[in-house]
Amino acid sequence: MKKISRRSFLAATAALAAMGLAGCGGSDDGTVNLTFQIWDVFQRDGMQAMCDAYTAQHPEVTIEVQVTSWDEYWTKLEAATMAKQAPDIFWMHTNEILKYADNDKLVDCSSIVETEHFSEISLANASGSDGVLYAVPKDKDTVGLVYNKEMFDAAGVSYPDETWTWDTLVEASQKIYDATGYYGYMAYGDDQLGYWNFVYQAGGSILTEDKTRGNFTDPATKMAMDFYIGLQKYDWCPTQTYFAETAPGTAFFSEKGAMFLEGDWNILPELQNYPDMVGKWDVAVLPKCPNPMSGDGRATISNGLSYATTKTNKHLDVVMDVLKFFGSAEGQRIQGESGAAIPAYIGMEDSWVSCFEQYPINITCFIDMFDYCVQSVNNAARPEWKTPVSDTLLKIYTGALSLDDGLNQMQQIVDQASAEYYEE
Amino acid sequence: MEKTSKLGRDGAVWGLIMVAPTIIGLIVLNIWPFIETIYMSFSKSLPFGEFEFEGIDNYIEMFQNAEFWKATGNTIFFCIMTVPVGIFLSLIVAVLLNSKIRGRTTFRAIFFLPMVVAPAAVAMVWKWIFNSQYGIINTLLGLDIGWLTDSHIVLITCSIVQIWSNIGYDAVLLLAGLQNISVSLYEAADLDGASKVRQFFSITLPMVSPTLFVVLIMRLMSSLKVFDLIYMMVDDANPALNDTQTLMSLFYRESFIAGDKGYASAIVVWTVLLIGAVTLIQFIGQKKWVNYEV
Repeated sequence: MKKISRRSFLAATAALAAMGLAGCGGSDDGTVNLTFQIWDVFQRDGMQAMCDAYTAQHPEVTIEVQVTSWDEYWTKLEAATMAKQAPDIFWMHTNEILKYADNDKLVDCSSIVETEHFSEISLANASGSDGVLYAVPKDKDTVGLVYNKEMFDAAGVSYPDETWTWDTLVEASQKIYDATGYYGYMAYGDDQLGYWNFVYQAGGSILTEDKTRGNFTDPATKMAMDFYIGLQKYDWCPTQTYFAETAPGTAFFSEKGAMFLEGDWNILPELQNYPDMVGKWDVAVLPKCPNPMSGDGRATISNGLSYATTKTNKHLDVVMDVLKFFGSAEGQRIQGESGAAIPAYIGMEDSWVSCFEQYPINITCFIDMFDYCVQSVNNAARPEWKTPVSDTLLKIYTGALSLDDGLNQMQQIVDQASAEYYEE
Repeated sequence: MEKTSKLGRDGAVWGLIMVAPTIIGLIVLNIWPFIETIYMSFSKSLPFGEFEFEGIDNYIEMFQNAEFWKATGNTIFFCIMTVPVGIFLSLIVAVLLNSKIRGRTTFRAIFFLPMVVAPAAVAMVWKWIFNSQYGIINTLLGLDIGWLTDSHIVLITCSIVQIWSNIGYDAVLLLAGLQNISVSLYEAADLDGASKVRQFFSITLPMVSPTLFVVLIMRLMSSLKVFDLIYMMVDDANPALNDTQTLMSLFYRESFIAGDKGYASAIVVWTVLLIGAVTLIQFIGQKKWVNYEV
């Protein structure tokens, strides 16, 4: 039996490990292989089309689109960033961008973005706390009111339009419920697809102007929260308990209720996933607040994704060139035409709208709402306060907390979490 | 003499090489992370895996937090709900599957089936069964029970699913134990005129007690660590979330949603201590009831 010394054994193991590590990296023949990570499988084709357009002009580059589900996306990206193994290009979301930008992980993209072609909100959604662009704006979205035409017809109520106010919403819901027995407006306790919109319509806000503290105790915020949470007292509104088992979208497309709030990014998948329902439903702009404490009563939340890369990337020159293309008119147009999302590039909205030509749906209302949209709520402490705030909201809904106590508690949660990031 | 000891040393080296994959795996994947976790529980976590030592702050915060005590209570409640009933039912199933009934193999396969199905799939199906509006249970029985939303009931619902998923596995283990019992014991008992019930308590139970002990320990540990089932059955928008949160789901929320890995590690360390204490009590208690004589 040949004797193996401990040293040579260790050396062999180390060599094996080194071989394993060396496996990742670029190739020798001058081509650059990039990875591009996204979370929405529905947008894969659009992203692929965009990458193909780039690689057609740059044959030395290949880009592989990888889809990781939203639930594990951020855990994975954080671990990969820590290990300096992040994908070359990845989607960034407003929930997380401040964490990445403020910890100096993302590359400054100011030089490659044609800022004059993007709205202030789009740029803000791709910026760090210091106001520097750390990503390339990808898309922008708004929230609209989806309604079931058949239920409106059955109850003899006219369809929602821009004249609608909160009062019209309540009256119509009552009439539909009385006439058909179906739910009216399904007031889900969600933030972006729920109460945030109403708060800003009333002239309130979730965070203070400088975003360093909460603003739940503001009278306008309180008025909107009181109205929104109060909706579930009506017979025509399902309770949050109902939504825990049946999401509002599921209830709507099973024809259990007449209205709910939906983001534009879900409309095309819903048209495709529920072919029997096409023609039975439509979308409208959000109803406005009849008595706002400031402003004209109109608002919708506008979020936006962006493309980013990390500072430790090995092919930064190529990656920045790809990112520049993604943010260019051409890249944004391809994205829009695929129906993936509304391009952030101003003037390219029609490329997205054109995807809906074959469907009987008033899709332009989502574009119209950009005139008065507000930036999605965000500050660096959001990951910390997001869950506790929704827990507290549920406690108000179940009656475990009064509205006043609940709002005070939400205020406290946001302030405490934010205090770690923003000095008084 | 010298030659043999050299051979012995060679043998030892080869032995080490052979077990190296397991040992390296254990150290890299289990032992080192375990030590890291303990260190993290005494640290403040900053984004992107940075840690700052801060002493016992996490533990102080944890012990003062009502949500944490609620989660500990829920975990123990879940344990009490699932373990005794689950093991009792598994034992009955095992005894039945051990008797000479028609289609015994088919029954064994059926009872073992839940174990082969992914927990996430199990939870999805049960979620529909228990749906208060459109679920089959409420529809068939004409009830209006919020199985998944009534904060007093959700943990019981989860317990039912947990027991259902585990019965087969436990029963197979117990069945193996039952088959080791010598038939002559029962023949002797028959001759003495002992009833079947008497035989069960005087022969079956003591003889199967070592297996029962193993099953008990495993089951207690796994129900104290329950996560996937609760995570799948109760989603974030559920008003009953706070009343069903177990230690592991609290850990998940703190660690991966709120991003506070230091505090989350403290929860894990506490859970390890809890499981350790429960297991220690069992090892002391087993002397009173586990029979190792053949």
